[in-house]
Amino acid sequence: MAMYIRVKRHKTTYFIQCDPTETTLDIKQKLQALIDQPSNNQQLTLVATNDILDDLKTLAEQKVENDAVVGLALRKGLFCIPFVN
Amino acid sequence: MKEDTVKLISAEGFEFVVDKKAAMVSQTIRNMLTSPGSFAETEHGEVTFPEISTPILEKICQYFYWSLQFSSGKETEFHIEPEITLELMMAANYLHT
Repeated sequence: MAMYIRVKRHKTTYFIQCDPTETTLDIKQKLQALIDQPSNNQQLTLVATNDILDDLKTLAEQKVENDAVVGLALRKGLFCIPFVN
Repeated sequence: MKEDTVKLISAEGFEFVVDKKAAMVSQTIRNMLTSPGSFAETEHGEVTFPEISTPILEKICQYFYWSLQFSSGKETEFHIEPEITLELMMAANYLHT
């Protein structure tokens, strides 16, 4: 096992095993199995810096290290207002 | 809930979802999860510790993972804040870790 991160929401902490080369999306997919929420409804924030994690970047690129604390937010409701250009 | 994870619940009701493999670093938890017969703990993969506070339980979970990393050859130190040492030792004694 290379590393783990602590994903927190409300009163729950999920310990997720991962690798620095994995992307945020990989983590969201692991979370999906635990919380039954599709990855596009999840938003992860690195608590130490308040940075929102980018789906396509790796953990190493975003300075998410072993034992890091990551906050989990979930999109509310079924509908999402599309972004109009 | 996934099959290979367990939920550990602290005195204040905070939940820690960890891999079964990690939780089984503790002999006490291992016994709870693997003993024969259908115990609620074994079936739902949930264990409540009314005597362990949230910060201590979190530290214990961090220790589980540190222990797995250490046994696979990564040599880092496990940092313990002096002010939680006593409470942590009592919990570790109870959990056989």
